[in-house]
Amino acid sequence: MSEPPPRRRRPARLWHRWLGLAAALPLLWLSLSGILLNHAESIGLNDRQVSAAWILKRYHQLPGGDPRGLRIGDRKVASWDGLTFLDHELVEIPGELIGAVALRDELVIATDERVAILDGSGAMVLDLDELSLPPLPLEAIGVESGRLFLSAGGSHYRFSDDFLSFEKGTFSRSSVALQPLAADDLQELRTAIQTRRAMPLSRVILDAHSGKLFGWPGWLLTDLAALSVIVLTLLGLRLLKRRAS
Amino acid sequence: MANLIIKPLTLVSATASRLRPLFFVIALLLSGGSAFSAERIYQKPSDFIRESLGTIPATRALSLNAGQQKVVRAILGKRYKTSSIRYWSVGKKTAFILEEIGKTEYITTGYLVSGGKISSVKVLVYRETHGWEVGRPSFTKQFRGARLAQGMQLNKGVKNIAGATLSVRALTKLARLALYLETLK
Repeated sequence: MSEPPPRRRRPARLWHRWLGLAAALPLLWLSLSGILLNHAESIGLNDRQVSAAWILKRYHQLPGGDPRGLRIGDRKVASWDGLTFLDHELVEIPGELIGAVALRDELVIATDERVAILDGSGAMVLDLDELSLPPLPLEAIGVESGRLFLSAGGSHYRFSDDFLSFEKGTFSRSSVALQPLAADDLQELRTAIQTRRAMPLSRVILDAHSGKLFGWPGWLLTDLAALSVIVLTLLGLRLLKRRAS
Repeated sequence: MANLIIKPLTLVSATASRLRPLFFVIALLLSGGSAFSAERIYQKPSDFIRESLGTIPATRALSLNAGQQKVVRAILGKRYKTSSIRYWSVGKKTAFILEEIGKTEYITTGYLVSGGKISSVKVLVYRETHGWEVGRPSFTKQFRGARLAQGMQLNKGVKNIAGATLSVRALTKLARLALYLETLK
């Protein structure tokens, strides 16, 4: 008895099978995360926070490089990767920290592009930007005769008591300098950042859903998953038509 | 029997061989890439002030007392970033550069107020990854002519943008704040 002829394998069926297998996991994730996002508010995803180090790193919430800082009395001012911290709390001023000084009851923190005036509790009283500062970038900060001095472009500027105006002046004292942080301070700062800069879970799921969380490779993978749905649909229809005929 | 075992293996091997370049490409792509870089600078604050007022006048500031900070908290739902807020004034026109968090980042916005009405609104720096559409003039022009009505609300509605709800809310709150601050000058 002769063997039955080998069954002919259709390329469309093979593609359908293997493409479906390859796309199954991304599609499962897209479907699941899509459902979660549609109900984010009712299931409390907006209120939950994610503080995993690798997630925070993706959002640039964990600074890199070597932090530097200085002590003003019992307060610690530090700069890490363009972020400025006062006693481990983020101070919302952009730019690289150049220094800080105590003046009357206030603390003045300067970056190369902003100056923040904070009261004794650490609350920001005034935030000065390019509109109220000498030509940027700022280079140094200091105090002389109870007045704030900023250096920029090789000149020194003396500020009024309310910090809203300034004039060129002579600054004879040395400006404050930043130092590398001690190991204890560094660890405390790292822990504080990781705890306080947590991201909302809904935001993380949304960015993982769109692929953005993983950068452009994530976008590409999401696009490939979407394209595979289109191809699978077309292949499926083709196979269905053949079977019907 | 041998055929039954070997055939699927051959099939897997052949398919894997065909898809291998694709796997390599995906693996290579997954090995790198950065996540977010969102800051959009539309206009420098000094350019906004110059454009709005024709010059850059001396900086002034409103130091908010406890009662005024209470009103600000009612408008924003929280304390404003600073307890003193700068403004620039020429004639009846007053410009404010205000900042408020959309979802997680500050949005820097310029407001020009005149005679209790908003003359113009411009998003100057947008740092969120989503919702940048609030920076479009087609959106910000909705604020023109808005006044403070009862309950410190705007007297006209501002249409929401899907996917940018929090940014829209932030800009609307700041518009109310700018109008309130003008009454304190």
